[in-house]
Amino acid sequence: MRMIEGGHGFAGDPRAVGGVGGHIGAPHSVVGQRVVRHDARDKVQAATAYAGDWAMPGMLHGVVVRSPYPSARIRGIDTTKAAAMRGVACVLTARDVPRNTLMTDVPGQTTTVGPLRAKLHVLAEDRVRHQGEPVALVAAETLEQARDAADAVEVDYEPRPGVFDAEQALAPDAPKVHDEGNLLAHWRIARGDVDAAFAGAAVVVEGEYRTQFVDSAYLEPETGVAWIDSDGVITIRLSTQVIEHFRDVADVLDVPQNRVRVIGAYLGGGFGGKEDVTVEVYLGLLAVKTGRPVKMVWTRQESLLARAKRHPYRLRYRTAAAKTGEILAQDVELLGDSGAYAYLSALVLLYSTVTACGPYRVPAARVQARVAYTNNPPTSAMRGFGAMQTVFGYESQMDRVARALGLPPADVRKANALRRGDTLPVGQVIETHCALPELIDRAWAGLGAPTPPRAPHAKVGRGLACNLQPYGRIVWLHDWASAWVGFEMDGSLVVRCGCPDVGGGQASSLCQIAAEVLGVPIDRISVHIADSALTPLAGTTTASRQLYMSGNATLKASGELREQILGVAAKLLETSVADVDLAGGEVRAADGRTMPLRQVLAACARMGVPRSHLAVYHAPAGEPVDLTKGSGKIFPDYTFGCHAVELEVDTETGRVRLLKHVAAHDVGRAINPMSVEGQIEGGAVQGLGYAMMEEVVLEDGINLTTSFASYLIPTTVDVPDVEAIVLESGEGLGPFGARGIGEPPIGPPAAAVANAIEDATGARVTRLPMTPERVARALRLLT
Amino acid sequence: MTTRLLINGRARDVDVEPHRTLLEVLRDTLGIFDAKEGCNEGVCGACTVLLDGRPVSSCLVLAVATRGKPITTVRGLERDGDLHPLQDAFLRHGAVQCGFCTPGMLLTAYAFVEAHPHPDRAAIREALEGNLCRCTGYTKIVDAVEDYARNRCG
Amino acid sequence: MQPFEYAAPASVDEALALLARHGADAKVLAGGQSLVPLLNYRLARPRFVVDVNDLPLDEIRVDAGRVRLGALVRHSTLAASAVVARECPLLTEAAALIGNVRVRSLGTVGGSLAHADPAAELPLAMVALDARFELRSARGSRTVEVRDFFSGYLTTVLRPDELLTSVDAPPTRGAGTAVEEFSRRPGDFALVAVAAIVTIDRQGRVENARVAIGGIDGVPRRIPAVENALRGEPPATDRIARAAELARAEVTPQSDALASGEYRTLLAGVLTKRALARAVSRAMAVPA
Repeated sequence: MRMIEGGHGFAGDPRAVGGVGGHIGAPHSVVGQRVVRHDARDKVQAATAYAGDWAMPGMLHGVVVRSPYPSARIRGIDTTKAAAMRGVACVLTARDVPRNTLMTDVPGQTTTVGPLRAKLHVLAEDRVRHQGEPVALVAAETLEQARDAADAVEVDYEPRPGVFDAEQALAPDAPKVHDEGNLLAHWRIARGDVDAAFAGAAVVVEGEYRTQFVDSAYLEPETGVAWIDSDGVITIRLSTQVIEHFRDVADVLDVPQNRVRVIGAYLGGGFGGKEDVTVEVYLGLLAVKTGRPVKMVWTRQESLLARAKRHPYRLRYRTAAAKTGEILAQDVELLGDSGAYAYLSALVLLYSTVTACGPYRVPAARVQARVAYTNNPPTSAMRGFGAMQTVFGYESQMDRVARALGLPPADVRKANALRRGDTLPVGQVIETHCALPELIDRAWAGLGAPTPPRAPHAKVGRGLACNLQPYGRIVWLHDWASAWVGFEMDGSLVVRCGCPDVGGGQASSLCQIAAEVLGVPIDRISVHIADSALTPLAGTTTASRQLYMSGNATLKASGELREQILGVAAKLLETSVADVDLAGGEVRAADGRTMPLRQVLAACARMGVPRSHLAVYHAPAGEPVDLTKGSGKIFPDYTFGCHAVELEVDTETGRVRLLKHVAAHDVGRAINPMSVEGQIEGGAVQGLGYAMMEEVVLEDGINLTTSFASYLIPTTVDVPDVEAIVLESGEGLGPFGARGIGEPPIGPPAAAVANAIEDATGARVTRLPMTPERVARALRLLT
Repeated sequence: MTTRLLINGRARDVDVEPHRTLLEVLRDTLGIFDAKEGCNEGVCGACTVLLDGRPVSSCLVLAVATRGKPITTVRGLERDGDLHPLQDAFLRHGAVQCGFCTPGMLLTAYAFVEAHPHPDRAAIREALEGNLCRCTGYTKIVDAVEDYARNRCG
Repeated sequence: MQPFEYAAPASVDEALALLARHGADAKVLAGGQSLVPLLNYRLARPRFVVDVNDLPLDEIRVDAGRVRLGALVRHSTLAASAVVARECPLLTEAAALIGNVRVRSLGTVGGSLAHADPAAELPLAMVALDARFELRSARGSRTVEVRDFFSGYLTTVLRPDELLTSVDAPPTRGAGTAVEEFSRRPGDFALVAVAAIVTIDRQGRVENARVAIGGIDGVPRRIPAVENALRGEPPATDRIARAAELARAEVTPQSDALASGEYRTLLAGVLTKRALARAVSRAMAVPA
């Protein structure tokens, strides 16, 4: 247990809030309630202005010219014909970009880490390395004119041999994607005597697993509008998880960072795909070049073609276990496909490395992880971020160990579950409660009575899978977030925070936290988010970090503000600060006297006491170290979960029908249980899409799935109701003991489904997605 | 050509080029952003509007071809500025996350319950099969529609 | 979308005159569920679009012993039609499987058939039903049998100046019918689909069986080997299964991003068996 900076935290009774100055605010009146989100009200009325719901007078339309080849040399680009076409305002190529290099390692961070450094060209210079790579930009009066002109840009390509598979990319004679070679990153963990453990094992289980490229597939494609504001500031309003890309735009445009402003609209989904730069740099270039507002909306095809995907992995596991089911050692080899550019691949791979052995005590472990460049589309952040692929490996292995030993899979997992004080293979000590046994029991029990098969050719089976997912960014990044909370004279409250809202209720949760601490009805709060010029910066809405980071910053700011206001109130009421409270929008004294908040606020103004507070929350920080030597803390903390599924396999076709899905997570504290359930249900279904149907199909680097008719995501009839079980240990590092829950629920479904298929049929599927055809192969219906 | 569009009970005479989809005219000509563009090929359902009371993909309808036929967007569900009970059910059940699918989802569900007043969960799932949602996992959306249908009939 | 000229004629003759004038430069717009995506992606760039939605071609009626569907009958109307459910329930079942609710709202029988996607439901059903197509042009009209109508992947014998105005099929009263479709995701085009129509004679043997398969070749087609194997046989489960196995030998499907040819072959056998089994059980339930 650690105390959050600023004095908020928990001791003993998890319902007790240790407020600033020792004030006890329990029981919570707003936190923990199923609050209707302010943004949901706007959204059911279509009142929310998404990035695309924005138009400006004189606005141009921007289009990206993309490479049709996965690997080619550019001999020349002729833009004269395109530039002369009707309505065309400008055509830009690499030569027109002031600084054509974009850093893509850890978006939004102010601390850089050497091994993670990555960059690419804003527009291709002499080479293209993947299909869809941006080569030129066009802006025109209408979208049609822009598209026509884009078609008319003449690029002289000389196709070159490419490499389309990570294994082949590491062969000595493979075509080099980048001059420095195709091995992009390599992480290793070595802990304990692995070979001795295998020698003494009762059972050794070996398995090789493959996962696929998948797409974030948010319903809102990448979109934004840029303009030069009246003060000359380049202003870009877009759908992004990271408003701090204003710095990248400024660097590319070669202007001071304070001359670029990024406004983050409420997103139509992010899931990691809007963590890297998308349209903002292009919009900045076009707006500066033309001096006019420019809109850019990527088509669905473009988004599916060119946006970074989740890394496909080959995972090789050897697991040693004792007769009791105790895991003795794991020997893991991971190989990921980075596609043509690095983006966040090194960091994604690090997440995989750290989580490779799962939420279990593993006394001896050897993890070797590599990621290679290919001429496939780039891969980068996506919900789960490298801690997802590994679940399919380690949880398939756990079931096979149980099966080999004739033990119930749930029991084997419970016996090996991490406990507080245990050490992960990477050397990090688990400092908070790990509720895995309880999560397993509750998820499994949640399946209820077995469903009988519907037909003679149908078989029903059940499976479960657990996971651990870090929340908050790696400690090497020295992460921080800030928030400002202030009263207006009438007692209404304003929260300002640079946090983008991807749809998970990020902004609404901040309101709940402020409402709780300051005793203000939630409908008396306005929240301003995600404006790099006007809201205090709060970092990225990624890594399951915003409730944790911005939540803590808001809690801290609210707590400090509360002290300021109560100090004045106590003076006015001639009592001690300990005997006054803020509730129901007024000041209440222990002796029953009340005072309208506006009276206190007026006094604050008179006395020169601020009615607002800006707070910064700093996450635990550490320096990069050699993982092979054991590193200690890598992530601030982890969220644990267990999913159980029941399904029916059609043994004639391999079709799997999902019947039941129970998803249990220890979220520490549910600030808004409705939002928490929403994260769990939605994450589970994305995980089921990964398990069952989603796959970016590539043929020598050419994407065959660039439409929603061929890139399949789950519909209502593909998935069952998800029953979310929310455990609240109060053990998280976030406000009121909350843990991050954005990413964790996407992890377990694939392994749970694979385990259930084996339970039903005896056949093991080791490759994702588990399409009917792959299941049919596992059932030996096909040769 | 000048075309009379009937949007949420109001006639709008709009100069429409024949090759404009209803989605383009709503968003780019009229500034009505109620329908969203998610795929432009009729798969995702984010651009759903009701045409003659039936759900259609506004990205797959030429605006000129809708002349004189009633078009309902999500704002057309509201009565005197109050939320429609279905919108309210979406709020109470937490059926909204990013909200990009929400207008289309509401209209499809509304038209379905009008035609099938007593649906079970399986029927609701069948009815919403063509409206993709990437955030919610659908459980709370089905909860909301089920609750609305039940209360609607008392 | 590229600009084009547009007309919405009020009469069939007017429409045919426009098609006669603009021929290959024109596209007929019915429900638009196949055409407009092509326009959106500039995969079709017609100079002229003839919107036929105002034409009086949306009638369903029983006429001279055949069920006649106007080309503008919407999928949703077809799925809900009591006449069709009584006379040709195969079409009711097929219509309900088409796309999603929005496609069924606007999509038309004529549009689907003229688009001729080999994995679509209505072309398959029409092949099983031995339907006939009425094609009209300013030059006159002609009737084309279904076996002659589809000429290849997304192509038919429709000439540029012709309009498909109606399709008719014999009722299947007394028969059992079924469609089995297998797609990666419901509502999507089928990897393989099979339609079966079975009649049982007084001795309880298969009098006649018609089996059509889609999603395999460029056009949906009948599988005579399966039909012949069943005719005159008692419709026992094992016999149906054995006959259905013949379907696998009759197909050589291609592979694509969604499934391999080998898997489609597997499905051809399984779906044929299931379609026949359901059609037989429905035929047995028909009162003699």
